[in-house]
Amino acid sequence: MTAISPPSTPRTPSATSASSAPPPPPRRRGWNSTGITRLRREGAIAPIAAFVVFFVVYVIINPELLTRFQLQTASNLVVPLALVALGQLVVVLVGGIDISIGAIMSLCNVVFATQLLTLPVPVAILLAVLVGLGCGLFNGFLVAYAGLPAIAVTLASAFIFGSLAREVLDRPGGGVTKEIYLATSGELLPFVPVALVWLAVIAVGLWLLLQRTALGRHIYGVGSNMESVRAAGINARLTKLLAFGLAGVLTSFGAMMLASSTVTGDPRSGDPYLLSSIAAVALAGAAFTGGRGSIIGTILAACTLGLIGNLLFFAGVNSYWQYVISALIIVAVVGLPVVWRKVAFRVKGIRS
Amino acid sequence: MTTVAPPSSPSPSASPSPDAGTSTTGAVGRPSVGSILGRVPRAVWPLVAFLVLFAIGGLIRPNLVTVESLIGTATFAIILAIASFGQTIAVIQAGIDLSVPNTIGLSALAFLALVGPLGPLGAFVAALAAGAVIGFFNGAVIAKLGLTPIVTTIAMNGLLFGVILLAFNFSELTVTPDFVIAITSAKLSVLGISVPAVLPLGLALMVVLQLVLSFTGWGRSLFVVGAAAETARLAGLPVDRIRITGYMLSGALAAFAGIVIVGYYQQASATMGASYLLSSVAAVVVGGASIFGGRGSVVGTVGGALVLAQVATLVTVLNLGSNIQQLIYGAIILVVISLYGRRRAA
Repeated sequence: MTAISPPSTPRTPSATSASSAPPPPPRRRGWNSTGITRLRREGAIAPIAAFVVFFVVYVIINPELLTRFQLQTASNLVVPLALVALGQLVVVLVGGIDISIGAIMSLCNVVFATQLLTLPVPVAILLAVLVGLGCGLFNGFLVAYAGLPAIAVTLASAFIFGSLAREVLDRPGGGVTKEIYLATSGELLPFVPVALVWLAVIAVGLWLLLQRTALGRHIYGVGSNMESVRAAGINARLTKLLAFGLAGVLTSFGAMMLASSTVTGDPRSGDPYLLSSIAAVALAGAAFTGGRGSIIGTILAACTLGLIGNLLFFAGVNSYWQYVISALIIVAVVGLPVVWRKVAFRVKGIRS
Repeated sequence: MTTVAPPSSPSPSASPSPDAGTSTTGAVGRPSVGSILGRVPRAVWPLVAFLVLFAIGGLIRPNLVTVESLIGTATFAIILAIASFGQTIAVIQAGIDLSVPNTIGLSALAFLALVGPLGPLGAFVAALAAGAVIGFFNGAVIAKLGLTPIVTTIAMNGLLFGVILLAFNFSELTVTPDFVIAITSAKLSVLGISVPAVLPLGLALMVVLQLVLSFTGWGRSLFVVGAAAETARLAGLPVDRIRITGYMLSGALAAFAGIVIVGYYQQASATMGASYLLSSVAAVVVGGASIFGGRGSVVGTVGGALVLAQVATLVTVLNLGSNIQQLIYGAIILVVISLYGRRRAA
């Protein structure tokens, strides 16, 4: 294990990258295996701290959160966002961005919901996942092999996938049943919402994939230093293609969770997830230049952003403040480390 | 200029020769940032594409080739173009402004709300100033803190939506002052042809902005900052100040778009800007701007908007449904970026 280089190998701290990581420390091999160092390097400390503060405040204002019903409602609310944000994270890790992620979500959502009308559930699930994979590979192929900018490619495919979604189903509907709702969004055991279980399974699977397989190392590597990766003989293009495909699959999971928890298919259901998935990834401390970002940070960032509205509701504040507050949280969590580093640098500069 | 074959962007099966032509022009035009000639063809191509589409429309439905049809399309296009001018400024300096939708919404609602206390002109100035302040914060965070433009402007977009909802609470304001109607939806007679006032207004704005971009020191340095910020810094340009003023102009232009949209459609709502999130970027990209910065023009953006509007007209006339329209938008963007959107040799 220790022979493998850490996910984001020392990269030159660029002025534009927003990170809480201190300037690259001298390599201490012994520390690489500990979780804290990895979290710090991936910029996950700030979103985790933000979530802990948020959660404590939430429970103080509204202790009812810990009751079975509210816990389940809250988790059904955040799990789709968390899954889509994980998809966005994988694309961001390879230095891209996916503008079409909301449209992919809408498309998978309506495919899943309409296919349930005629096909058995596992086939519908498989179809939705394949659609997500196909959309991701379409983007990935154009970005990796045609050399086009990710932001422009996914802008184009956002129009395309979105129109396909409305072609499949032009108004909310579909055949999501009560049983499917219970299997994805009900309560498995007392105080264990099954949505959280699915999220945990997917997150652990993704973590194993990113941290313990060659593909995962390559995804981090391609984002952090394309040239070295190429020099090392890794197929950077294939890695990018697979990263976009993986993001599509993760998005399809989010789409199915959303369709099941709302018991409907909706061709516009993915639209709000475009901006909020990017916001969650930003709040998670990922670098939009690629190579840095953590799974746990992204999930907790999605939880924070997804629950702000709820918290304000229970605090008796106009819930429209949620947009203002989430924006301020993003700027604070992403910006404060940068300010801190600049100030620290200036103070050090005066001393020397 | 004439030696370069114009790429027939609407047709997906582009022959290799226009492709080759585009890339050579790009290569020649790139180093000579000061040369206007190097960029002019790029702005012309969307216009050529529009004419091709217009001709196709005429072949399918001869009754489409009328002045009324042309003016209808152009009016739709100019409104999209006005909403995309700010985006163009942001993209030229290697940024992107995803706060355009709610800047439009906020300025439109604020304008209507302030007409009473401040009078039409005061409200107009206040709305533009609000856009400039929004742009100032975007620019200051991007330039001084070094956050990425995408993250900053998304956060700003969310913040503005909260402000809109808190201040106006989904109220729909519909009373539009006369002078805004006079500059937008009122019919003017130009050479005996009746056109909505927004058309000459948008074209005048385009000319002014293009002159600013092409012939002022500030406009030129915007391109330099977009193409190579570090080089610009080393060359002694005040990069941060150029960035911030660029975003301020972008915000003020989005605010102006909000007022124009209110004037033309004579209603404002909290979500009125939502459709401009992707379509403003689409118009800029189809207009030939590089998403990596350093290249683009407002003339091209008008051309890009004309292409998108003509597609909308064709889709409506042929009764294909708005889904097909979005699909074609996506295909056009893909064709355009595959013609000249390639990343510079990294």
